[in-house]
Amino acid sequence: MAKDILQRIVSSGIKGIKKADLKKAYKDCDNMLERLEKNGQVFIEKKGTAYFVWSKENYIGYLTQNDPRCKLVLDMVTGPSQSTAKKAHTNLREAQTISNDFTARNNDFQTIFNKCLNESGTSMGWTSFDKVREKICDIHNLSKEKFYTLASDLIDKNRERYEVSSGGQEGIIVRGLVHGYVRNV
Amino acid sequence: MYAYRLETNPYPSSPTPTQMDAKILGGKRHKEAKSAILECIKELHGKVCGRDAATGDFRVITVIQDVGSGKTHLALHIKNLQGRHNIACSFVDLSTISPKTMSSIYNAILKGFENEFFVQLRAKFLEYLQERAEQGDNIAKKAIDYTFVNKLTGLTIKEKVNDIIKGKEQVSVAHLNTFLHQRLNNFESTFIKSVITNSFSSISNLEELIGMMSSISKLTQRFLGKIVLFEMDEFDGNKESIEFVKGIINAHIPASILLLISTPSGYIEVQNANPSVFDRLEKANYKIDLVGSNSKEELAEIAVEYIKHNDKNDRFGSKEQEELSEKIQLLCDQFPEFRNVRSLINILYHTMEKSDELELQEIDESAIDDAIKQTYPGLKVRGSIMGIPISDFIAIARSCDNNTEKELKEAVNNLTSFACQMGDICKLEKKSLPLDLVYQDSSGAKIGLAISNNDSDLDEISNVSRSLVDKLVILTNRKISSPNNATIVNVDKSKMVDLIYFNNKYTRKKIEEADNEKAKNLAKTLCII
Repeated sequence: MAKDILQRIVSSGIKGIKKADLKKAYKDCDNMLERLEKNGQVFIEKKGTAYFVWSKENYIGYLTQNDPRCKLVLDMVTGPSQSTAKKAHTNLREAQTISNDFTARNNDFQTIFNKCLNESGTSMGWTSFDKVREKICDIHNLSKEKFYTLASDLIDKNRERYEVSSGGQEGIIVRGLVHGYVRNV
Repeated sequence: MYAYRLETNPYPSSPTPTQMDAKILGGKRHKEAKSAILECIKELHGKVCGRDAATGDFRVITVIQDVGSGKTHLALHIKNLQGRHNIACSFVDLSTISPKTMSSIYNAILKGFENEFFVQLRAKFLEYLQERAEQGDNIAKKAIDYTFVNKLTGLTIKEKVNDIIKGKEQVSVAHLNTFLHQRLNNFESTFIKSVITNSFSSISNLEELIGMMSSISKLTQRFLGKIVLFEMDEFDGNKESIEFVKGIINAHIPASILLLISTPSGYIEVQNANPSVFDRLEKANYKIDLVGSNSKEELAEIAVEYIKHNDKNDRFGSKEQEELSEKIQLLCDQFPEFRNVRSLINILYHTMEKSDELELQEIDESAIDDAIKQTYPGLKVRGSIMGIPISDFIAIARSCDNNTEKELKEAVNNLTSFACQMGDICKLEKKSLPLDLVYQDSSGAKIGLAISNNDSDLDEISNVSRSLVDKLVILTNRKISSPNNATIVNVDKSKMVDLIYFNNKYTRKKIEEADNEKAKNLAKTLCII
């Protein structure tokens, strides 16, 4: 029965379920609820004239939605993305998806970047960053900042595959110097 | 005494290389570049040997790479070898000439030769005069001022010439002029007269400059049997420099090699400023690309070479070389600041000084750490959450590849224990779950944590844990495919070093208050809290 009760409480979401409704469905559930409450599996609170029951995740969700102080404290302790376990889980999933997207985008960027270097370099492969940036940003609708973030990241992670050289009007910063030239090695 | 029982610090400390520093050349790429230049010298030498050089006997070499990559060092090293390879070399740093007039460039070229070059050329030409005089050439006799009185007193022509060479006697400039103009062209006469009298007149235009450079190389080939290597450093888009270079390339100065040193930015400046000169450079006989000159392997080889060269007591064996090489490569990996020859040599110079001060037998992590603190104050290990000192970073990172999954598990276990002590999580019994740790996070969610490097374990972990934990975190240091219900945290080298560093401190009970926040951040990064 405990499993059924818990299931019912969980399924009621962050609105919670009236204790009276539970009693209607499960006679003599008081002891069971008391035990679950002791274990921290459910939370009971008086709302108006009625008692409501929540599962722990839903209760945190309820609190964070209805009590700004609680939300604030939780945000401070666990970070804004982890206000509830469920939310945290979702956020992590999202973060993972974003991270995967970013990796995919990075791979795309690498291909485009390499292609551009091969097309516009001198005989030794050197080309200026501004030329590459203009080409890539135009075609792929990237901002200048985004381009240099992606380029710096790519070069930093593949130091043996790219060489950068100081000089030029724009580029990536290494040792406090603008390195405006790049090539694939 | 320095590390490896060296009597002197093997590393130079000057911000740019001097000719003295350039006696040592290390690194595969740099040695390959050196071979290419020597090959060019050998080839041209073979071609002009035994005959007068013609306009086709001219070569262009370009050396292009970023600042601090060892180009100037290479050029000076070649200059140091001139005696061994039958060349006379003039090294000119174009950045030190301002304004870049033809006259100032000519003066710089003359100064770029060793003094010994002029001494030899003077002596050889005077010997030639002696031969001519002994064969009865009256103008030659007059040029060396060999008089009837000299003959009466028993002074031979040879003795007279020797006195001139030693500076005891002087030539007759007027007769020397006559002698020279009968045998040499105007520029050659002017140059050799300047060498004999040690008084160089200035020039005023490109034509004269080219004429003088041609004279230098022709007379060097004729009297010394050498070809001339003109090394022009810091060549860039400067208009005067380009005009000068274009002139000498077009003039095909016989029996000579023009070695142009530039950076990629300088080279692209030339491309934009003067496409025709750029085209000539693109068609250079030898295009030396110091690609990879700043790779960590190359830098380590260069660093090792300096010590090897100075190791008179055989204290720097292969084991020591390997160890130092590893440390340097780690340093280069972690600090892009040191990823060029100049910066690395600077650090190693200071490290060697530290080794002397601390009486170290070898360069160790602490000496490197001290040197970095001294020369780059405030420099931190990038991406280190624990704020790990450089010496610890090097020591841990060196052993990182040998760390087993067991060590990683121990470190993670201790980090969770720490988080538990800090009240961030509450450890639970893992029972028979195929997990390494089970705990409750601050929001009450039940977290299962597994450390795995194996794809095949993941499915089991994922399946069994799905219904029993709210969140599954898998720590791994490999690329593994992510099961649907798990958060994969990649423990890269930097995180691994942080973990081991934390663990060392934790097990030795050395965690200080300042470390608490850092350790918490580390736990957050690993999705533990």
